Amino acid sequence: MKILLVEDDAHLRKSIKQYLYQEGYLVESASDFIEASEKACVYDYDCILVDITLPKGSGLKIIQQLKEGNSKAGIIIISAKNSLEDKINGLDLGADDYLAKPFDLTELNSRIKALIRRRNFEGNKFIIINEITIIPDERQVKVHGEPVHLTAKEYDLLLFFIANKNRVVSKNAIAEHLWGDNADQIDSHDFIYVHLRNLRKKLLEKNCADYVQTIYGIGYNFKTNEIIN
Amino acid sequence: MKLLTKTTLYYILVALPLVVLASIISFRLIKSEMREGTDEALKYELHLAKDLIKKGLVKQKQYLSIDSLSFVEPSFLHNSKKRIADTLIYDKYEKEYVLFRKLTSYYTANEASYCITILKTTIEEDELIEGVLSTFFIIVGLLTIAFLFSNWILSRSIWKPFYKTLNELKRYDIKNHEKSNFSTSNTLEFNQLNDTLNTLINKIYQDYIQQKEFTENASHELQTPIAIIKANINLLMQSSNIKEHEMEQLQIIDDTLKKISSLNKALLLLTKIENHQFHKTEQINISNVLYKIVDNIQELADAKDITIKKQIQSNVCITMNAMLSEIIILNILQNAIRHNIKGGCIEINLSDTELIVSNSGEPLNINPEELFIRFKKNDASKDSVGLGLAIVKSISDLYHFKINYHFNNSQHYFTLKFS
Repeated sequence: MKILLVEDDAHLRKSIKQYLYQEGYLVESASDFIEASEKACVYDYDCILVDITLPKGSGLKIIQQLKEGNSKAGIIIISAKNSLEDKINGLDLGADDYLAKPFDLTELNSRIKALIRRRNFEGNKFIIINEITIIPDERQVKVHGEPVHLTAKEYDLLLFFIANKNRVVSKNAIAEHLWGDNADQIDSHDFIYVHLRNLRKKLLEKNCADYVQTIYGIGYNFKTNEIIN
Repeated sequence: MKLLTKTTLYYILVALPLVVLASIISFRLIKSEMREGTDEALKYELHLAKDLIKKGLVKQKQYLSIDSLSFVEPSFLHNSKKRIADTLIYDKYEKEYVLFRKLTSYYTANEASYCITILKTTIEEDELIEGVLSTFFIIVGLLTIAFLFSNWILSRSIWKPFYKTLNELKRYDIKNHEKSNFSTSNTLEFNQLNDTLNTLINKIYQDYIQQKEFTENASHELQTPIAIIKANINLLMQSSNIKEHEMEQLQIIDDTLKKISSLNKALLLLTKIENHQFHKTEQINISNVLYKIVDNIQELADAKDITIKKQIQSNVCITMNAMLSEIIILNILQNAIRHNIKGGCIEINLSDTELIVSNSGEPLNINPEELFIRFKKNDASKDSVGLGLAIVKSISDLYHFKINYHFNNSQHYFTLKFS
């Protein structure tokens, strides 16, 4: 999996790169428009993360170039602007997703996974973690081949965990993933606990191993020994 | 009060006492002049009478004039003094008393004494006053008319640049600032006024733009640093040899950062609304938006055992920005949940003209008028940023809606009236 990260801030670039590298991606980066547009032209990437406000040009123009060059790369806009217009413009140009800064790296990771899955790069329609099989197109979960009926939130939570398996996922990141703008509103930690408890119960009922570990108070880790990418 | 009215009023205020004073003085002057004249005439006739006596033509009472008022008659009295006094005599033709000047004198000639009485009509005081006053009022009236007319002419010509500037100022709107165009005149003061106004307006506009941009720029600039901190917390969390208490510290940092982040987002949204950056409007079916949002927050309400009762009229349509329509409703409902009590209730009532959301909860401990001001919040709600209702207010201002709050029967009522 090759990812091009276009981000002008050196610190942010470094952190994202490090995190994605740990996820097993090959990450190249560009810090301005010219560098990014050159790299995007010369090499093929599976996914391109692009900031809109860049030195020497707009990230939107890079998207345009990629689309004109019939690039197959998935495109995720990471922007500090969080403006609806940018989002609409970017998506109209052919970007696949839009993530407003600041974001959790776990969220970015899950978006990349979802994007790659949607574009079916891995050639299969299932996510399989040991005894758990997920069919994202149907939002279905099976354990040992038997269907488990999850609520929408439980399903999203499971998918988020699996996208970030073997990673510590903070409660704040989960809250934002599940409730978006409503996340500030709630005592999210209690909420997550309720959903997690139900999810766990449903999985355990089907003799699924208990993968979710609580990490001190900050969050959870969906620990699997198998590593699938 | 108009400038013209004001100057006229002052003019009248000054003119009136002057007129009264002038009238009194002229009345007195005219009166004494006239009296003097009458008295002169009386004295002249006295001489004529004396001549008659000297010539021995007077033997008995003899009238001196055809009106049978002045006469000479032999007298036994003798008083060397002559007396002049006012007297009233009944005029049988006019049937009224008429004021006369009467001279009484005694004269001795040819060893006989005579009494001379001469009468002359004189103008009466009230008639005099009437005459003087009416003259003066005619003068004042004419002057006032002349003054008003000249003032009117002046205000049309001399004051013209002033009124032009005034109109220019009235038309000025800082939100769509155009280079103000105060025409130059040949009056020094007006040119100075225009120059000063130009400088002032430009200064105000600069400040306005700066202030407008400041919050937005500051919020924007904060996004990347927040993203960096967040990313590094994420990375630190993955570290396998991190201790429990260090994890707790990370948690605190992460929670605090989340607060900063949502504060920043809210501020950015608020400035964007105030800077009219949501231009795109469309027909929004508020009923459907409401249904969708109630659905989204149902879970939050359930967690606090809050029952939501709703009475939503279908297909209520409002022309506004789609995103703002969701934000305003979401913020009102979030507020109703946040400041609710466990086991409380929320009532939602949507009609063609208004949305009323009421919720149970503790009474406010801040002034209700401050409820919609940025960062004013109930002491109890530590977790809230204090911008939710400010956002509601600024969206409703944008579309000229009216948002009101009142507390009744331990229920908080928020009423949003669509203009």
